[in-house]
Amino acid sequence: MASSSSVVSSYSSSSSDKGSGRILQFDPFQSLVDEGFWHRLSSLKLDSLGLDQSPIPLTGTPLLPSFFSLAFSVCFYAPCSHPKVSNRLTLLAESLPSDFKELQFSLERAHGNRNRCPVPGTLYNMNTFESFKALDRDSLLKKEAKKILDDIHSAKVEEDSAVLSRFFIISFADLKKWNFLHWLAFPALVVGPPAVVLNLRPAREVFNQGEAQSLSAALNEWRNSSLTTGVLYFLVSIASNSRATIRQLKDWKACQDDGQKLLFGFYDPSCRLDNPGWPLRNYLAFISLRCQDGKIQFLCYREKRGFADMGLSLVGEAVISPSKDCRDPQCVPKAVGWEPKPKSINLAESMNPERLAVSAADLNLKLMRWRTLPSLDLGTLSSVRCLLLGAGTLGCQVARMLMAWGVRKITLLDSGLVAMSNPVRQSLYTLDDCLDGGSLKAVAAARTLKRIFPAVEAEGVTLSIPMPGHPVPTNEISRVLEDCERLRDLIASHDVTFLLTDTRESRWLPALLCASENKIAITAALGFDSYLVMRHGAGPLYESDQANSLSTVDGNGGQRLGCYFCGDVVAPIDSTSNRTLDQQCTVTRPGLAPIASALAVELLVGLLHHPNGIHAPGEIANSIMSSSEQPFGILPHQIRGLLPQYSQMTLIGHASNSCTACSTTVVSEFRRRGMEFILQAIDHPTYLEDLTGLTELIESANSFKLDWVDETDDADI
Amino acid sequence: MQSETSARQWDGTLSPNDFNSSVAALCERWKEVNDSLPQWLWVPFPVVGDSSCNAAGYLTMENVYHQNASEEVSHEESILGDEELSDDATLVQSCGKDDMHVYDYHIVYSFNFRVPVLYFRGYRLDGCPLKLEDIEKDLPAYSLKGLRESKWTFMTQEDHPYLRRPWYTLHPCGTSDWMKVLFGSNAANNQPRPLHYLSAWLSVVGQAVGLRIPLGLYKSQ
Repeated sequence: MASSSSVVSSYSSSSSDKGSGRILQFDPFQSLVDEGFWHRLSSLKLDSLGLDQSPIPLTGTPLLPSFFSLAFSVCFYAPCSHPKVSNRLTLLAESLPSDFKELQFSLERAHGNRNRCPVPGTLYNMNTFESFKALDRDSLLKKEAKKILDDIHSAKVEEDSAVLSRFFIISFADLKKWNFLHWLAFPALVVGPPAVVLNLRPAREVFNQGEAQSLSAALNEWRNSSLTTGVLYFLVSIASNSRATIRQLKDWKACQDDGQKLLFGFYDPSCRLDNPGWPLRNYLAFISLRCQDGKIQFLCYREKRGFADMGLSLVGEAVISPSKDCRDPQCVPKAVGWEPKPKSINLAESMNPERLAVSAADLNLKLMRWRTLPSLDLGTLSSVRCLLLGAGTLGCQVARMLMAWGVRKITLLDSGLVAMSNPVRQSLYTLDDCLDGGSLKAVAAARTLKRIFPAVEAEGVTLSIPMPGHPVPTNEISRVLEDCERLRDLIASHDVTFLLTDTRESRWLPALLCASENKIAITAALGFDSYLVMRHGAGPLYESDQANSLSTVDGNGGQRLGCYFCGDVVAPIDSTSNRTLDQQCTVTRPGLAPIASALAVELLVGLLHHPNGIHAPGEIANSIMSSSEQPFGILPHQIRGLLPQYSQMTLIGHASNSCTACSTTVVSEFRRRGMEFILQAIDHPTYLEDLTGLTELIESANSFKLDWVDETDDADI
Repeated sequence: MQSETSARQWDGTLSPNDFNSSVAALCERWKEVNDSLPQWLWVPFPVVGDSSCNAAGYLTMENVYHQNASEEVSHEESILGDEELSDDATLVQSCGKDDMHVYDYHIVYSFNFRVPVLYFRGYRLDGCPLKLEDIEKDLPAYSLKGLRESKWTFMTQEDHPYLRRPWYTLHPCGTSDWMKVLFGSNAANNQPRPLHYLSAWLSVVGQAVGLRIPLGLYKSQ
């Protein structure tokens, strides 16, 4: 290397160096505000506002009524250690005090960390976008720059050089949207005409080998000592025997007088080989005002993988000359240093509790899928639309189970009000819902679902289901017809209907509508200590494209599964009049509803995962444990349980040709005559029996009655 | 500690003390073999009143840069208008390099599962955190394949146990099982040495998150 002989000579003979004599341009600081900073700021803001509604001025009087400023925020930077990426001045959670009370918050954690050299700063947080916009940024910059100038004149810089890199940040934290608008400034004093660079080259090309080695060693020692690793500005003095020494800034006088070569060194965050980083600007101002003007030499210190790198570090020579005004401590200097534009980051993903709840709930299901049920289709579950008829013990529990499985679209239908007896058994209500006469059950239940899990799309519909055997007075016909239409529309617009009402007859119209629309219907019904959970078969008019199939034959060629009414030989009638109180209320053992509800939901999940869907044939529990083809096990048609025996069995019941709800005759008649047919069925229960041939069946059965009474007692299952 | 486990078959876990020595060994070895990644640094989180537990804390490797080729960086109109600059001494930069992604990796000891757990996050240079979809775009094909097909490694978002903010993590529920598989039959009765444990573990999770572990870590030590 031509210039390796002597430092001094290489500085003066710089005519061939590129860029000599041009204005020294500084690579601006770049900031990075870490997510954690905003998390900490948010909790500070929320906590302090929780105690006191007024803004909290920490430093002097606030400029505006709606802001607070924090004098003790700190950011961190280190020498550049990447050949292509400049180091960023970073604001972390640790930049803020964890508590407003501890103003003198400690920097112990940061102290001695070589990658986190602390720099003091101020935060101006505005409470509205308007006040953020209205801030006089120019005077703010001047005010902060004046602090730096004061620190230079008062010799504070010599004690704590980090104040030369003082920064500030203005922000508007929108905690409702988790949006953080912010703008940083790194004030740089303009104390005279721009510095002129005489030369600027990699240190390796400037120093001879001995100097470079000695300097590297000295710098590494400096960086590895916890006492000096965070000191951003320092002096390099090189003796004639090539020995380099690093000294504190306060020693500048001694260094100037000892006749050795003096360079002003600083941690350079920039990675550029043609320009020094921003911290040099105020450093030059300090040097020109306090130490010397004219020609000075500086060292831009940079590292590679934690060690001094003489190829990346730069040595430069510049001419500086401060204007006379700035030597006056009272002067208010010109300043530059705003980042080019404000930045805005949105942290809803990590701060919005609703989103966090969603991802946490998803996690459980995903774990299940990853570990044991690879075929679990969370997409189907989250998009399936479920209609729950009845928001009582069963309805509440079914809704909760659906949410646990990741079902997100739930509509609850009920006509009642929450009664005092409900909350203990019906898990979506509390006493509050019973007050003032009681809330509408469907509405209250949907509201609770959203409180449990805000991402659920829950809706409550208040409607009473028209029932056979409950004749309609003439003046109410239009209302009943309207209810029928609404129910039909609801069933048509959902994928699954749960029949969870407390009477048999209220299930008839929904069962018929589901059969007509070919929608999945799941019934759960309770006795005092027994329960029935079943899925209805496919509708009779949806036998795929095979022309000659019978109504009892499923689209897949198998026998169609029955509905809740298929096993009956009587049409539904009014079961509520003439009942004693204990019969009218839901008198069941409390454990039944959760059991039956859970089974109903599990049955649906199994069905949704079956390739044949609604056409899936019924399966019966097998005593031989075979490795089931379906990951969810068998897919039963009916599950009946008896609590006194703690027993449960799976049954299959095929569709009946005389069914009052799902037979071809009934569904066709409904399709032909529509609401007129419904009204007739409601007013005259025997009409359904006549239509389906049940009347005939009962009569023929009666004629045989004598024959089989004595045969056997247990022939009824 | 060896004796407690060697009596019966090794269950693939690591004791808190072994985790600690494992961490120290990894940091040392890493310095020797690493030529491109940053160093690992242990950040202790002393539990108040419990000096016995020195596995509380995390091992961190931060500022791993990833050049993102595909992404279109949108330069939106500033809502307030840009800062007008008339200063000769300020270098005006072209808007480049904004598409760089930065990753931080933390290794945390899970006292429940008794295994190390990897937490990580990525963000853009403006501080915006990367979403899982963005991260997946940064991963090499073999990582994605592994994540899709293996039931042992999958990413979720969970609270970082010390920072208390959501970070991405590889769920630890399968770790002890695959660690047993990794060490095969020769580990059936003998627990591997702590450094071997952490290096082997890192070879699997590193692959899952696209972290290139220096090969030197696995050369005979």
